[in-house]
Amino acid sequence: MKKIDITLTVNGEPHEMAVAPGERLVDVLRERLGLTGTKEGCGEGECGACTINMDGQAVLSCLMLAVQADGATILTIEGLQKGADLHPLQEAFISESAVQCGYCTPGMIMASDALIRNTPSPTQGMIRDALANNICRCTGYDRPVKAVLKAASHMKERTNG
Amino acid sequence: MSVALKFEGYHRPGNVDQALEVLTEYGNNAQVIAGGTDILPQRPGGKNAGNGKHLVDIAHMGLDYIKEGKDGIHIGAAATINRIGAFPLFSSSPYLALSEAVACHSTQTIRNRATMGGNVCNASPCADLALPLLAFDVRLMVTGPGGNRQIPIQDFYMGTNLCALDSNEMLLEICIPFCEEKTGTAFLKLGRQQTAIDMALVNVATSLTMKGQCCNTVRIALGSVGPVPFRATTAEAILAGNRPDKETIHQAAKAAADASAPIDDIRATAAYRKKMVAILVRQALENSLRRYKS
Repeated sequence: MKKIDITLTVNGEPHEMAVAPGERLVDVLRERLGLTGTKEGCGEGECGACTINMDGQAVLSCLMLAVQADGATILTIEGLQKGADLHPLQEAFISESAVQCGYCTPGMIMASDALIRNTPSPTQGMIRDALANNICRCTGYDRPVKAVLKAASHMKERTNG
Repeated sequence: MSVALKFEGYHRPGNVDQALEVLTEYGNNAQVIAGGTDILPQRPGGKNAGNGKHLVDIAHMGLDYIKEGKDGIHIGAAATINRIGAFPLFSSSPYLALSEAVACHSTQTIRNRATMGGNVCNASPCADLALPLLAFDVRLMVTGPGGNRQIPIQDFYMGTNLCALDSNEMLLEICIPFCEEKTGTAFLKLGRQQTAIDMALVNVATSLTMKGQCCNTVRIALGSVGPVPFRATTAEAILAGNRPDKETIHQAAKAAADASAPIDDIRATAAYRKKMVAILVRQALENSLRRYKS
């Protein structure tokens, strides 16, 4: 089986590597690059724990091969924080108590991040639609939705500020 | 835990000729992949659709276009479902069956990768997008070593997960003919959850084109209630040429239920699905009629 050379830009850093045709993106992120913030839950696209941001869009890293991401710019939960400052979404998930066990949180935040990038003032309905692929089994959904609303308004204030 | 999917090779053709070369070389051992959202999930027993095959990635061949031509809207085989959903013409009244099906198809996150071409070629009996495509009577442009050929969508589905493509052929594009004036369409899906990922228990799409007070062209497409998505032609014939009054719509909906052949499975019983076909078809026809009027 022939390996394929790919390049990925992950959280601003370029990486070159040779991958097997069947290597999934989630495994490359977690095991080759050590970015274990991205979680794998179901492995079949239903739970959303592996959600990352690729070229500005939320995608599921368990439903993608690493070769399909060749040349892409990827953002994972590790890339949101700026220095010591948490991203407003991370801050809002904490202040709204939108985290319990935390396993779904990176995926929820990355799906929310893609939403806010494309729609800076999302409605509650839009947030629920954007998070429909992210399953939480402990906190529920109201608090994450509140957190996203709070982060979006906070970010808008900051931009207008 | 990392999972190594069992693919023999990966090929990334840059144009149609290169793709056909790979398809011809590997034949039944080739698996065309675009988004991959239907091919990559693990099935029971650790298997997936492309197991042991050579993947042919068609996402880098310039087939991600959506454009208006002379005869209709041309959608490349690798256009993602979210991009199709954002195409302005599809939010206008005659095309609502398509935008409704897009909104019900999986989730935004999956639709960022999943393509209409994949949804059609996987030939799942419950594929949401197959139904508006049947209701719009689209043509599929397919290419192979012998050149291009057009396949009407009604002739495309051969069986569950089986389509009319030969192993050395691939889908190039889907052409949705421009809707005639005085057309209303609608899509409805019954699932356990209405918003999140779930396969339909029953899904339907209808299209009504009026002439005066009577129906001229009628198309009623049913999903999840047979081995393939299909048109309920006996139900269509009840409406065609007649006024779409309450009783005629009721008769057509009943004929659609009679034409359905669902199975009992973990999601629902066949008897329930059959009953719901009549209800969904009636509602979809009423929605189509209301939209034509507005």
